[in-house]
Amino acid sequence: MSPYAYIAPFFTLFAAFGLFPLIYTAFVSLYRVELQTPGDMEWRGLDNYTALFTDDFFWTSLRNTFTIGVISTVPQLVMALGLAHLLNYRLRARTFLRTAMLLPYATSVAAATLVFAQLFGRDFGLINYVAGLVGIGPIDWQTGTVASQIAVSTIVVWRWTGYNALIYLAGMQSIPQELYEAAEMDGASKWRQFFHVTLPGLRPTIVFTVIVSTIGATQLFGEPLLFEGSISGGISHQYQTLGLYMYEQGWGFFHLGRAAAIAWVMFLLIVVLVGVNALLAYRRSRKEAVR
Amino acid sequence: MTTLADPPVTPPARPEKPPHRRARRSRAGRTNHAGKLTYAILTVAVLVSAFPFYWTIVAASRSNADLARVPPSLLPGPNLLRNFEAVLEEADIGKALLNSFIVSGSITLGTVLCCTLAGFAFAKLRFRGRGALLAITVGTMMIPPQLGVIPLFMLIAELQWVNQLQAVILPGLVSAFGVFFMRQYLVQSLPDELIEAARVDGASTARIFWSIVVPVARPGMSVLGLLTFMAAWNDFFWPIVALSSSEPTVQVALRQLGGGYVHDQSVIMAGTLLGTLPVLLVFGLLGRQIVGGIMQGAVKG
Amino acid sequence: MPTARAARRVTARLGALVLTGALLAACGGSSDADSADGAGGKITLTVDLFGSFGYKEAGLYAEYEKLHPNVTIKQTDTEDEADYWKSLQTRLAGGGGLADVQGIEVGRIATVTQQQADKFEDLKKYGAESLKGQFAEAKWAAATGKSGEVLGLGTDVGPEAMCYRTDLFEKAGLPTDREELAQRWSSWDGYLELGKKYKAKAPGKSAWLDSVGSLYSIMIGQQKERYYSASGELIWDKNPALLEAWDRSVEAAESGLSAELDQWSPQWNQAFAAGSFATIPCPAWMLGYIKGQAGDAGQGKWDIAKLPGGAGNWGGSYLAVPRAAEHKKEAYELIKWLTAPEQQEKLFRKVGNFPSSTGAIDKVAGTTDPYFSDAPIGKIFGDAAKAAPVQVLGLHDQSIAQQITNALSEVERKGTDPDKAWKNASKGVANTLG
Repeated sequence: MSPYAYIAPFFTLFAAFGLFPLIYTAFVSLYRVELQTPGDMEWRGLDNYTALFTDDFFWTSLRNTFTIGVISTVPQLVMALGLAHLLNYRLRARTFLRTAMLLPYATSVAAATLVFAQLFGRDFGLINYVAGLVGIGPIDWQTGTVASQIAVSTIVVWRWTGYNALIYLAGMQSIPQELYEAAEMDGASKWRQFFHVTLPGLRPTIVFTVIVSTIGATQLFGEPLLFEGSISGGISHQYQTLGLYMYEQGWGFFHLGRAAAIAWVMFLLIVVLVGVNALLAYRRSRKEAVR
Repeated sequence: MTTLADPPVTPPARPEKPPHRRARRSRAGRTNHAGKLTYAILTVAVLVSAFPFYWTIVAASRSNADLARVPPSLLPGPNLLRNFEAVLEEADIGKALLNSFIVSGSITLGTVLCCTLAGFAFAKLRFRGRGALLAITVGTMMIPPQLGVIPLFMLIAELQWVNQLQAVILPGLVSAFGVFFMRQYLVQSLPDELIEAARVDGASTARIFWSIVVPVARPGMSVLGLLTFMAAWNDFFWPIVALSSSEPTVQVALRQLGGGYVHDQSVIMAGTLLGTLPVLLVFGLLGRQIVGGIMQGAVKG
Repeated sequence: MPTARAARRVTARLGALVLTGALLAACGGSSDADSADGAGGKITLTVDLFGSFGYKEAGLYAEYEKLHPNVTIKQTDTEDEADYWKSLQTRLAGGGGLADVQGIEVGRIATVTQQQADKFEDLKKYGAESLKGQFAEAKWAAATGKSGEVLGLGTDVGPEAMCYRTDLFEKAGLPTDREELAQRWSSWDGYLELGKKYKAKAPGKSAWLDSVGSLYSIMIGQQKERYYSASGELIWDKNPALLEAWDRSVEAAESGLSAELDQWSPQWNQAFAAGSFATIPCPAWMLGYIKGQAGDAGQGKWDIAKLPGGAGNWGGSYLAVPRAAEHKKEAYELIKWLTAPEQQEKLFRKVGNFPSSTGAIDKVAGTTDPYFSDAPIGKIFGDAAKAAPVQVLGLHDQSIAQQITNALSEVERKGTDPDKAWKNASKGVANTLG
């Protein structure tokens, strides 16, 4: 059997359902294509893009993607780091704790969002009830711009914190023991060890999780869609993300060409963000090396 | 599949080295016994992780009127079976579960097979274009498949596959991560001498694959299968585009539930519970292995 | 990390899971085959609808199944028409998953006749031409394609009235008699005036009206030209009648008359029973919603009066058979029966959907409804149906309407500046038209 026969099944599928759609997206974005008649394509040139750049809803969704990305990613990774540190102690019920942390990861976006949408209800939600007990509220988690973005981000944070904690934990366990021993001999406190041994040792892992989370945040879709079941991301688009706006253009307004332009913009955004991340990581590690 | 659901792309470490690790652990300065505070914080974290599940059970076992009551009831009620019945009838969750089993099962089997084949070729066989092809595979690993849904939709519309399960299964089989994962696994755990010896004995490549590679690759295949199954079960964007309420997967059915299909909140929560149970079951049985798989994938950046 | 033994265990468990899946799949496959076309000629007709057609509630499916023992009817229903339409369009484009019978809202029928005539059966094939005399002329004409195809059969029309809660009115010291109210709110100004009076003495936290979106929708229904002119030109943003409806809705929002509920949302559903609003503009098909959501507890608390500002029509639907349907002939038989005068009459009496069939309109003239304090619904809606203008229908009626009601709920719920909301609506419409 030729070696090519081994890779043929994968590459056939990959070409048809992986590579082709990605490349063809760029092509489609130059045409007017309507969902009802996907066969009829009408040349548009860059019009889909210029239309986007003069479209306020596009900028709103770009801004929302960014803000939701920050309020979901930063707390998530910081908490994950802390939890990983704690999980790295010698613990009883170690496996149970790890599995329990990973539990949210096992649920689907849809299930998690439906439950959280219920918890965040304005009139009868549990969260507003508890907030009411301490004299806050009631907060309109659906209508308020900041409130709704926090609510949507909460779902993301809940689902991914445990997962990232385990990644960090794995990273921590592969840091050579000798480094800690040396630090201890120098009389470094536990805190100093965390900042001067653990964090630098984890840098590649951190860069990795930042990149993955950035990509995840850029294409955030299910949470804002199901939060109220609105494809516009709330009545004034207050939590509509780029992913959701792409869906609205394609499957709400039926403009597949315009949706493809959004997809391509998202792609470029991801490339840029990942590039910046990688560059920063590279420059920092060079600086450390020089020092 | 969502990119996020895939574990990190760093090379998996050799899976079997417990003695070594245990040794490291015991002399470790940092693996101190945890204090009370640590346990307290971790307990809170576990509670936060688990509470939404508990709340789902509470809400699913009550009635709509209970859920619109202040103060809310925090204990499960008597209506669980009634709500299950309602959601099975109104939202066809039964069919959705069946479809999800078909879809996720097929994707898991297909992905593991394709990726093991390709991973083996990339790890141990020499052929022209190997480097370039591997580079393409790895290079696209980080690109979210969500960005290709428009042409993909045009493609399946052209094939008249909308609302048919193969529209979800076939694109789901593509896992660049899986190929890379199996390649790394086999590079590290399949000694070249084993293959050479078999060659000398006159075994064909096909034979080598089935009787030597697969047995060695099995632990890696299991981990990949688990992760693939969960990711396929939870996949959201593409199924809601390609399928509809008349041929739903669980996620499509949940979207319908959330979109005003059913008016009763407790029935919606019952549907959510039913749709999540199978994954929780897998998790309960194999949680340790999933944790291991994710951490294994992460070691070394 | 799995040792070799643990790994075998994983494999075994995983294998068992996958096998279970495969077995289930096999069973599923065979049971599917059973339910399709059994040997005894038993068939399942699928009916996919939105909102509240009321067939199930009125027992019409059960009756049809009794008349045709070989037929089982399975209905799916999406509450929000916008969601329904999206899903229908996707399936039409991709060929799969279409039901034997699909419902079409009147605001979408122009899309079907102008752009999708090739996706639906021409019902003339089955002799639909002979039914023409049964229907109101405009209803029939709207579903006729460019080359005379009959693409759908009319179900109901949406003559408009105003539904109100007599118990809440009483508590607020307002008159409860429907004749007197009709006089007091003969104009929309009168209606808003009364609303302000209500607000001053409103019982509990109740509001005058469910949402300004519904107010807008009912007002625009009184117009002949709404989004397109009779010559087919897009006029919505300069149509004086539309602008007036907008201004009035904004006034209602800014005076705090609305309960700020999005129509068709879960909160809206809950509010019927909770008594969160005193009036709701009601096309005939809304009666079924009210009964369903307010439940038995609402019996006798509601009444219906003539609509302020003249007669109008909001909504009404068609039933169509997609080309890709599995049982086209049987589907036609079903929709022919469902839209026949006798069934339309039954439907009106039971759930309130007003007949589009001329024969039925006369027969229901004397109907009263005990749920709504014995209001003469036959007369109120019959008069409205006769006096309502024949509306100009356009390609994007429904989508434009949706953008406007979205913008209005922004004004009422977020306090967005009306000019800004109007701009958002314009942008939304531009997006829709692409």
